[in-house]
Amino acid sequence: MTFDELKEYLAANFADDLTLLDTGRHEPVYEVKAEKLVTVCRRLREDETLKFDFFCNLGGVDTGERMEAVYSLASYSKKIRVDLKVILPHEKAEIDSVQEVWPAANWYERELWELYGVHVKNHGNLTRFLLPDDWDQGFPMRKDWDAPDFIRMPEL
Amino acid sequence: MADLRTEEFTVNMGPHHPSTHGVCRLVLTLNGEKIIKIEPVIGYLHRALEKICENRTYAQCIPIMDRFEYVTAMSCNYLFSNAAEKLAGIEVPERAEYLRVIMLELNRIASHLIFYGVTAMDIGALTPFLYGLRERELIIDLFEMTCGQRLTYNYIRVGGVSRDIPAEFEPKCREAIKIIREKLIDYEGLLNENPIWLVRNKGIGVLPPELGIAYGVSGPVLRASGVKYDIRKDDPYSIYDRFDFQIPTRENGDCYDRYLLRLDEIKQSLNIVEQALDALPEGDIKAKVSPNFKPPAGEVYSRVENSRGELGVYIQSDGGKKPLRVKMRGGSYNQLQVLPHIGTNCLVADLVAIFASLDVILPEVDR
Amino acid sequence: MGVIKKLPIYSEKLPGGGLVLTSLEAVINQAQAKSMWYLLFGTACCAIELMCTGASRYDFDRLGMIFRATPRQADLIIAAGTITKKMAPRLRRLYDQMAEPRRVIAMGGCTIKGGPFYYDSYSVEKGIDHIVPVDMYIPGCPPRPESLLEGCIHLQEKIKKQKLSDWQEK
Ligand code: SF4
Repeated sequence: MTFDELKEYLAANFADDLTLLDTGRHEPVYEVKAEKLVTVCRRLREDETLKFDFFCNLGGVDTGERMEAVYSLASYSKKIRVDLKVILPHEKAEIDSVQEVWPAANWYERELWELYGVHVKNHGNLTRFLLPDDWDQGFPMRKDWDAPDFIRMPEL
Repeated sequence: MADLRTEEFTVNMGPHHPSTHGVCRLVLTLNGEKIIKIEPVIGYLHRALEKICENRTYAQCIPIMDRFEYVTAMSCNYLFSNAAEKLAGIEVPERAEYLRVIMLELNRIASHLIFYGVTAMDIGALTPFLYGLRERELIIDLFEMTCGQRLTYNYIRVGGVSRDIPAEFEPKCREAIKIIREKLIDYEGLLNENPIWLVRNKGIGVLPPELGIAYGVSGPVLRASGVKYDIRKDDPYSIYDRFDFQIPTRENGDCYDRYLLRLDEIKQSLNIVEQALDALPEGDIKAKVSPNFKPPAGEVYSRVENSRGELGVYIQSDGGKKPLRVKMRGGSYNQLQVLPHIGTNCLVADLVAIFASLDVILPEVDR
Repeated sequence: MGVIKKLPIYSEKLPGGGLVLTSLEAVINQAQAKSMWYLLFGTACCAIELMCTGASRYDFDRLGMIFRATPRQADLIIAAGTITKKMAPRLRRLYDQMAEPRRVIAMGGCTIKGGPFYYDSYSVEKGIDHIVPVDMYIPGCPPRPESLLEGCIHLQEKIKKQKLSDWQEK
């Protein structure tokens, strides 16, 4: 399936849930509303034509005004790939866990919480694991984060 | 004896344990010698690479990417360059693409040779370690004559490669291929039929394909379970569609198959390098790219197949000269997640074999 | 007699045997310098170079250096690789578990001052010398096996120069 066919298929079958974002490149990125995330993900995984069963990546993004969670999905058998983006508010961001669809999401979601402070609902094991156990300096990947021993590279 | 009270106890394996391939801690709950629960604790090598990349220009990110997966640093270089090229729409000259493929595949071989040596050492055989690292030096020599570094190459840049190969590269490379081909016979003779090796590896740590898929496992570990999935074929990048090579798979998904599969992959990679050397065209090695180039705003997820599965990077650009966000993804992250499922109900000694056969490397997990 | 030739000695052949006179200091120093067993403590990229140094081509063993898996049998930590804030207490604990005399080699930029992660990293310890005392610094990112070998040879020379009286003070 080429990317154009994928776009057509998604436009025909997922028109209500997925909004194509214009990122000026070949691989499509879709926006999903946070409430619909789990249902859409399950449909994407179980759809016979798409079969997005490979959870590649989940990355948080802090753009300064808002949080984003970007899910990269692929299919083991169909040779396609897609990105989903969920846009969240900067403060008190909350997102549903997609572990029931892809168990692989477990650690990615923990990381999202630990480094960005996005609370993952229904996760079950939202504990520290990348940072030291006694870390108390907040969420370090946020753009406005700072600490006394954090040295920024001087502009050359 | 029937009312003998037994008690579970907890053992810490790591973070400094010679067989954890770096610094990973496994908290094991044991019932006698049997493991009933494994909890990996990671983060001992969390170096904040992603945060660093956010404060560097695209060209400055590449040395940082070297440290992301230092065993196959070339794939990391390639990965980032490829993503940045996709973002900025840069065309790469033909010769550079061939050089990249040669380096990527040589690096894959070097990584599998480390796997061969280190895995055997974990299980208690020292000779394979000396053999594997001896042949790896041949490849490292090739890298060194090209880019001057032994481990962190910074060779593949945005738009091409940093310098051309010297004249003596090709004969040396062909010679190395010849030597490695011969030595592979030795390697197989040393372990394939070795009774101790068979007892320690056969039927241990079986990964069913469904479990692997559910946990997003990729690379040799998944192929050893019979799933034929290789990004080089399924989502071809660079010029891999021009070469003739097979994707080896195995059926059983145990430690022994994972080991055999990696040896098969070395043979395929040697073929690719040879084909690329034969077809190497003349021409430019680098497109003109300003060091402070600013790609247009947008985002890209790019992925390559390295020796541990899918290596991916997500870059979001806001149009400035520094990326807004760089998220790295390594195959080991998922393989370590699956370890608690395949490692329970076996002995502690087997866990070492399983951990080694997954070929987990911790910088990829912690970043 | 190779070793004995190197000692500052007075040796004499007697019928039916030999007699060697030397200082205790020289014997102890020689023994310590020529059997530095190192702890296999590799955390990151530098560990791969440490492995290469131990393997066929560079052959660490000829300096009398053999890797040990446990700190209780080791005389030397080669801290190869980045030490993060989470790892730092573990390094200290390993050091504490070693028996005297113990030494530390800081291998690579990361262990010296944070290396490439000095700027912009929130989790890397900026140098290990405020966790454990360091005897020898080997710069590089990663240092070549040759420079690691050279560093070890320098450390051996340093050991050979130590005075017995220094030990009493310690
Ligand atoms: S000094 Fe360089 S090579 Fe060594 S651990 Fe640090 S980053 Fe890696």
